Amino acid sequence: MAEAKRRSISFPRYAEYGCALKYIMEQALDVKYVMPPALTKHTMELGTKYSPDYVCTPFKTVLGSMIEALEAGADTLIMTHGLCRLGYYGELLEQILRDLGYQFDFINLSDYDMDKKKEYIKIIRRINPKVNPARCLAQFMEGLRMVEYLDEITGEYYKGCGFDPTGTEYKRAYQDFLTAMYTAHCRSDVETGYRAAKGRLQSIPLDKPAQPLRVGVVGEFYTAMDAFSNLELEQKLADMRVEVHRWMTMTNQFLHYGNGQKNLRIKIQDLCQYDMGPTATANIWYARQCAERGFDGLIHIKSAGCTPEIDVMPVLQNISADYKIPVLYLTYDVQTSDVGLQTRLEAFYDMIAMRKKVF
Amino acid sequence: MEHAYLGVDVGSISTKGVIIDKENNILASQYIWTQGDPIGAVKELVGLLEAQFDRERYKVVATGTTGSARKLVGTILGATMVKNEITAHAVGTTTFYPDVRTILEIGGQDSKIILVENGVAVDYAMNTLCAAGTGAFLSSQAKRLGIEVEEIGDYALRSTHPTQIAARCTVFAESDLVHKIQMGHPREDIIAGVCNAVASNYLNNVGKGKKIVSPVVFQGGVSKNKGVVAAFERALGCKVIVDPNGHLMGALGVAILAKKGSKRQEFDFAVENMEFHTREASCGKCSNHCEIICVYRGDELIDAWGNRCERGERTR
Repeated sequence: MAEAKRRSISFPRYAEYGCALKYIMEQALDVKYVMPPALTKHTMELGTKYSPDYVCTPFKTVLGSMIEALEAGADTLIMTHGLCRLGYYGELLEQILRDLGYQFDFINLSDYDMDKKKEYIKIIRRINPKVNPARCLAQFMEGLRMVEYLDEITGEYYKGCGFDPTGTEYKRAYQDFLTAMYTAHCRSDVETGYRAAKGRLQSIPLDKPAQPLRVGVVGEFYTAMDAFSNLELEQKLADMRVEVHRWMTMTNQFLHYGNGQKNLRIKIQDLCQYDMGPTATANIWYARQCAERGFDGLIHIKSAGCTPEIDVMPVLQNISADYKIPVLYLTYDVQTSDVGLQTRLEAFYDMIAMRKKVF
Repeated sequence: MEHAYLGVDVGSISTKGVIIDKENNILASQYIWTQGDPIGAVKELVGLLEAQFDRERYKVVATGTTGSARKLVGTILGATMVKNEITAHAVGTTTFYPDVRTILEIGGQDSKIILVENGVAVDYAMNTLCAAGTGAFLSSQAKRLGIEVEEIGDYALRSTHPTQIAARCTVFAESDLVHKIQMGHPREDIIAGVCNAVASNYLNNVGKGKKIVSPVVFQGGVSKNKGVVAAFERALGCKVIVDPNGHLMGALGVAILAKKGSKRQEFDFAVENMEFHTREASCGKCSNHCEIICVYRGDELIDAWGNRCERGERTR
């Protein structure tokens, strides 16, 4: 029986959330987690080769990462559900991988009704029938706590990184934090790693002007968060001495706001009356929030063909006109070049920097 | 010796260079084709500029480069300022037209729109993913119709009934154009239709959602095409200013930026006789296999870039 063997489970690489997933799988559910290799051009080549051409870029990245995970020895793959086309991706990914001849068990969260708590128990039973769902709750919560810490430290990192006078200390503190999270085995590992990172980031004296340039990043769920997919947009901005703010994180989207984005929807009802997709409401709300707080610019990120985010763009244009805040729209595709992005970001930086001096 | 400043703009199709004095007067200027060889084009450009330039009276104390090959050319020329073309165009235009509100720019491979308020760029957009409606499209269609790209404007102005050409996408526009040719539309009307297609494609893509306010300045290589200028004036319902030096605006802008910059390095005209070559290497330190470009002066490696992490950095 396949169930008797301890599963080697994997999930495609997604920003740095792999560490939390690993923690949950290994500590709470007692299965082996196969960490897929870091995303590289090779991953993209693999994904592009076996994907339909017109599918959005995250699909290709995810497929590439799944292939790499299977090559690394995973026997079970998980795929998330989603509110846009993402909801259908699991099925398509499974079919493509089976056609390629891989043998694996595929847990597609789209098959479950994720609004019901009972379904979670079903999923846990399926992953590891020997685990008592009630007993693993504590470790599960620790894993979620890790997600919160990760987002908090990452947010702090991109706000301060550009103003680190040593140029390396901040980066090193962040890297050490990630290492600590990836290697955490128990609650105290998580807590110590977090506290150490928080302390280190705060102890580095920043050379920040009284009114630094502040840029808000909004956009599609995968590309906005995954540094590899957006060609390290946030790091590039930070390196130009910009304070980078991004609301869109796992923590905010799922843990803190989850199904409760109704209040955000009410706040933006003068801009748009309907919910337009998985991240539209939050993005519009946050874009206006940034504008009201006097940010110097907004950057809107989407992968080519992402319909929900295309719908957001006209609303952002209205915000841009109402609040006189420049918005840079970026579309990412497999072919998007680093140089092209650099040109646009440099121009954007020059513009907001010159603007700040005049207005 | 008076100070002078060199600005070089190396684009996909053409290479532009200017030398200006302290008052932004043009001392020497040149416009040549890049022809897929930015290094060769720049060496030729430097030679041509040197011939026009009074070396007894002036010396070049700062150099700026812009355009898609700015980094490569900046390394070769020892530039003190390497700036993206959007900023260069905005700075150049606002220096000569302080009241400008909208800058339209169409080059060989890209097109951009820059919105200006109080002499400062406040918003911009640049075409992504697709080169529809740029100079490359015009020149390939001119070739199809058997005329020189420089003549397009005159042909277009002679037309009284421009042909409707699908403007959404270059590929569709081209098939539609072939169809219209075979249907027997006169050549003048077709060319005027192509010019209209470029203008409407630009306004529907790059200019989408942007408020275009007069005065409007139009520049880049395509601004030399009177047919497109007329199409823009018709579509926008206002006058479109085309500077006689509009094609040099990027080079002028970066020369002005070099002048404003703090770095000073005397420019050596000897580069036109030096041997430069580039080599592409694949970094093998991880599976990303970054393509690293190495630039050599003779046999000496002068710079390298393209790596995404510090493992691929050049070691001396």
